[in-house]
Amino acid sequence: MAPTDTPPPTFDRRTFLRLSGVSSAALALGVAASDADAAATPGGPVPDGVFGLGIASGDPGPGSVVLWTRLAPEPLAADGHGGMPLRPVPVRWEVSPDERFRVVARRGTAIASPELAHAVHPLVEGLEPGREYFYRFRVGREVSPVGRTKTLPAAGASTSSFSFATASCQAWYHGHFSAYRHLANEELDAVFFLGDYIYEYGIGESNLWRAGASVAPEHGAEIETLEQFRLRYALFKTDPHLQALHATAPWMVTWDDHEVQNNYGADGSRYGISTEHFPHLRAVAYRAFYENLPLSLSTMPDGPDSTVFRRFDVGSLARFNVLDTRQFRDAPPVDREDQYDERRSMLGRQQERWLYEGMSGSPATWNVAANGVTVSAITEDRTDQWDGYPAARARLIEAMRTTSNPVVLTGDIHRHVASELKADFADPDSPTVGVELICTSVASGGDGAPTDGYTPDWVQHPYVKLYDGRRGYVHCRMTPDELTSRFRIVPWIEADADAPVRTTARFVTPAGAPGLEGQE
Amino acid sequence: MSTIDTAPPRPATGLQGTGELAGIVLDWTPVPWETVVDHYALYAAEDADDVAVEDATLLAKTVYPHAQHRGLGGTARRWVYRVVTVDAAGTRSRPSKPITVTSQESVTVSGTPVAVVGEFDGKGLELALSPDGYARYTQTFPDGVDFRHGADDPATGWSYLHPGPADGWAGRREHRFRLRFPLDEAPADDVDLALWLIDSHASIPGSAVLKVNGTTVDRLEFAGGATKGSLQGDSTVPGSPLRPSYVERALPADLFVPGENVLELHKDDGSWIAYDAVGVFARPPAHE
Repeated sequence: MAPTDTPPPTFDRRTFLRLSGVSSAALALGVAASDADAAATPGGPVPDGVFGLGIASGDPGPGSVVLWTRLAPEPLAADGHGGMPLRPVPVRWEVSPDERFRVVARRGTAIASPELAHAVHPLVEGLEPGREYFYRFRVGREVSPVGRTKTLPAAGASTSSFSFATASCQAWYHGHFSAYRHLANEELDAVFFLGDYIYEYGIGESNLWRAGASVAPEHGAEIETLEQFRLRYALFKTDPHLQALHATAPWMVTWDDHEVQNNYGADGSRYGISTEHFPHLRAVAYRAFYENLPLSLSTMPDGPDSTVFRRFDVGSLARFNVLDTRQFRDAPPVDREDQYDERRSMLGRQQERWLYEGMSGSPATWNVAANGVTVSAITEDRTDQWDGYPAARARLIEAMRTTSNPVVLTGDIHRHVASELKADFADPDSPTVGVELICTSVASGGDGAPTDGYTPDWVQHPYVKLYDGRRGYVHCRMTPDELTSRFRIVPWIEADADAPVRTTARFVTPAGAPGLEGQE
Repeated sequence: MSTIDTAPPRPATGLQGTGELAGIVLDWTPVPWETVVDHYALYAAEDADDVAVEDATLLAKTVYPHAQHRGLGGTARRWVYRVVTVDAAGTRSRPSKPITVTSQESVTVSGTPVAVVGEFDGKGLELALSPDGYARYTQTFPDGVDFRHGADDPATGWSYLHPGPADGWAGRREHRFRLRFPLDEAPADDVDLALWLIDSHASIPGSAVLKVNGTTVDRLEFAGGATKGSLQGDSTVPGSPLRPSYVERALPADLFVPGENVLELHKDDGSWIAYDAVGVFARPPAHE
């Protein structure tokens, strides 16, 4: 089954018991409400246009998928509640193999409550594996647009291909999401989002580079409260191409730092918030992350803690390990001796063990780690990346050496980079154990350029095969024989969303022969 | 069957306050994690026995069980506060019990200026290179700052940032800032130093050696800031992320001489501090 083992994907008894008190009812009903629940929810008028933040699906399994919407007739209402009345509202959903819904495979109800900013995450089970489905929501007499999603192939099933894209770093204020306009037209079984879905910074004259956009004063301050985080997600989701891509394919999402605060790690802030206080920021940030994305209930935070590392199996073809490189990492090194301390961890011990066991013991042809920050060795001072955790990286590489066709997917750096992962980065002649495909940003950094001041740091290494500093995404197609990665770029994003897309580099990684074979 | 309980959250308890220079610090006990808090709303009124919980008195919203009421200036000011818990559903608690706190009076108010650079106003904008010109520091101040009170202009003569040896952009070396000022005669009483910062580096603000006329007085330890004052100069803007801090301390009278005096801040530890203003103040005559 997929997602597999830890953590559980479904709304089970253990998850239910972890939740307590008033919130458990709201959370449970946001996932699966019975007819009695729906009947017991008081009615009342709901404003028009409740689907203003779009619809989405995510965290698919072989016979399941999570659907998502967040009711918001006024997405930018300053209190973060999207213009909804502060009472529960029933949301009906339908899933069909047919875009015109002539046959309904599953239908149900979830209760949108103000506790979750009127977000619902219905878990649809009992679907056929490896199949395309369509879904829609209904609130009162209003029907949402139709979304497309896809379940994963059955466990162990022979799978001829799997197409997916990676994206990251969507600073809405730096430009238009032109990349998503093109990505929605690609062949897609899934989208992996690798972090920085929002940014916490105040938005004003100095960083609002998106031509034609303006923001109200409440967006001007760095966000801290739950209402501010909710509002920030809503602002970014006003982009029509983002909404369209969510409605095109299921997303598997992880976070990086900006979903909370720049360069944070565990309870540590770089900006003077004490370790005693920082969990309060994490609690609201993690809460808003869950509320605004198509995530399994297993990722629902419990106070300041949340389990977002999880696993998806694509038949016998691939295993995707979605990682959390923020919540459990050790503090930045205080000096070189500390940096090279064997005990330092990027993932925390529990997640490390879960990852290594899941990689080395995997029956899949391809074994992927979807991760926030660069694994490849670049420079010693890039301590926010795995360069700051060299002993942990060595353990990861060691685990990869006993793993079938390891692949790392990365975001964070706002550049396309393709790199071969070496058994010993200090020795270019050492074996290549896997590949790292780093996707550039969707918008962060504005238009960008093919090269920039950071280029020499990266291309000095013989194992780095590509560097491109323009905006875009990576599209991949996996078969039992090879992984083809295409690094797609758009030449501008600040002026408008009209830029064309093109492939700046294309690589083939043969199964059983890790490396990047460039093709054009 | 039960659907969703919209019972109000509990109010914050244990509200405590401490009066500081130019500000008041408040702390309270957070509600348990079972309640998902959207924010705590802090209400405040000056020179009153209580505060009405209404939009007009809303001072700040914070997710932390902690708030700093900044920018109160050098005068001692008395404020009363209450806190309301707002949960994820938008439901509000009843207000906490009120607390009254008075900020400390600064020597910039009680004393008489002897030599002052900048204004003690929460802003560093009147200083050289402010608000974001740190990249020009090394070419503008290759030997640090040497400021002659009464002759030099803060807008060109006193850098808004005082780097430390941890700052690569300033050569990873120590930096001395000197303030020269004349005295007609040596002071009869001790004087006071006021050193106000609009911000400092968050994790390594470091310290500086304070000297007067070549004699080491003390090592000044700086509070961690928000690492934002290198790029913005006004901590009084609503929602400003800057974290001001203040140093005020006595300087013994026998350190000073008639004629020119030199006060030196030698940053030999840590990263930068961002100035609001710095000055020396004479104490008011003691009343019999």
